[in-house]
Amino acid sequence: MASKIVSLTLNGREIEIMVKPLMTVQTLVREQLGYTATKAGCKQGGCGGCTVLVDGEPMQSCLLPVEDIAGRQVTTLEGLTPSDGLHPIQEAFYENFATQCGFCTPGMILVVKALLDRNPSPSREEIVDSLTGNYCRCTGYEPIIQAVSDAAQRMNGR
Amino acid sequence: MTTKEYFLPQSLDEALNILAEHPSVLTMAGGTIAMPLINGGISMPEMVMGLRQAGLDMVSQSNGTVSIGATTTFSQIMDMDSIPMLQEAARNVGGWAIRNMATVGGNLFSPPPSGDFAVALLALDAEVKLVSHKGERMVPLSEFYTGFMTTALEPGELLTEIQVPVPEGQTAYLKYGRRYANTPAVVAVAVHVVMDKKKVKDARIALNAVAPHPIRATQAEGALVGSALDEGSIAAAAAAAAEACEPFTDSIASEWYRRKMVDVYVQRTLARLV
Repeated sequence: MASKIVSLTLNGREIEIMVKPLMTVQTLVREQLGYTATKAGCKQGGCGGCTVLVDGEPMQSCLLPVEDIAGRQVTTLEGLTPSDGLHPIQEAFYENFATQCGFCTPGMILVVKALLDRNPSPSREEIVDSLTGNYCRCTGYEPIIQAVSDAAQRMNGR
Repeated sequence: MTTKEYFLPQSLDEALNILAEHPSVLTMAGGTIAMPLINGGISMPEMVMGLRQAGLDMVSQSNGTVSIGATTTFSQIMDMDSIPMLQEAARNVGGWAIRNMATVGGNLFSPPPSGDFAVALLALDAEVKLVSHKGERMVPLSEFYTGFMTTALEPGELLTEIQVPVPEGQTAYLKYGRRYANTPAVVAVAVHVVMDKKKVKDARIALNAVAPHPIRATQAEGALVGSALDEGSIAAAAAAAAEACEPFTDSIASEWYRRKMVDVYVQRTLARLV
C-alpha cells in the first residue's frame, strides 16, 4: 500500500493527512476527520449528497481522490456555518421548510453558496439548473427553490 | 477498495511512462465513470492512473480547428463560445458538480446511454489524437468506436486531444431524457447541415443512446443530400435514421420506444435548421 501524505486546506485550516491509494475526499472528511455534514448517498455521483466545494466549485466528493486536489481549498457545510448561529442560506432553508429529513441539505446549501457567489440574483431557471445534480426525496423541490430566492434576498440585503 | 497504487502523473510523458510500465493500469480523468464502478465493487483495479494533473486540459484554436485537451471539463467547454453546439451538448451532461469533473476525453469512453457530448463531436467530424511512446496518430471519431465499450485505442496509447473543425454549416443538438436535466438519454441527436442554393450539400446526423456507441446515421444523411430541407426530406431522413439505428432496452426506455423517439427527435432537430 503506497499511502501518501497530502496537504490541503479544509474549511480554512491547512491540514496534512495520510491517504491510501485512491481514497476519496468523502472518506477523508467523513471517516478520517469526522466532518459528517458531507453525506454518503449513492457513491455513484448521482445524488449530490456528498457535494463539497473545491476552490468554490461544487464537486462530488465520492468520486474525487484526495490526491487530485492537493494544495486546494475544500469547503464542507461545517466550514460555511458560523460558530454562532446559521449562515443566511441555512436560515432561508430552515424558514422556508426546505429541509425535511435533511440528508440532501448540506449538498444543496453548498451548491447554492457557489451559485450565489457567482450570481447574487439568480432567476428561477438558474436556480433549478444549478440544483439538477442534487436529489431531494422528501420536500419536493418547490420549498427549496423558494429558499434559494429568499437566501439571495437575505444576502443582498446585507 | 483494493487499489494498491494510484498514479497521478504531472505530464503527458510521465503518463505514457506509467502506461508503458504497467499495461494493466486503469486510466481515468474526472473519475465520473471509473469511480462509481470502483465504489460499487464492480471494478477492482490494482493500479489506477488519474490524469487530472497531467496538463491535458488546454483549449486552443487555429486555422479553423478547435483543439480540446482530453481532460477539459464540461464546465470549461461551457465557458468556450467558438462552437455553440459544443456548449449546448456540454450543458446536457450531468449536473453542475459532474460538469466540473467529467471530461471531454472521458465521455468518448462512456458506454451508452452516456456519450451525450461525443454525439456532438461526431456530427462535427472531430478527430482524436492517440499518443504513445511510438508516436502519435489522428483517428476520425467515426472510426474510433469499434463496438460496445471497445475503441481503436491500442495498448500503450493515450487519447490526449480532440480536434474539431469549426462548423461550416448550421448545427443543432437535442437530447431527450426522462427529466429536464441530469438524466440519461432516451436519444440524443446532433446535426450539421451545409446548404448550397437552397439544397442540402452535405449532412451529418449523429445519434446517441440508440446503438452500442454514438453513431452516424448515414442512410439519413443520404436521404437529405441533394434535397431542399423541407418537411418531406426531413421525414424521410428521420424514418431512415429510425430504421438503421440499433437501440437497446434499459431502465430508461425500451428498444421500441427509443426507435420511435429517433424518428421524432431527428425531425425536431432538423426542423431547427429550417
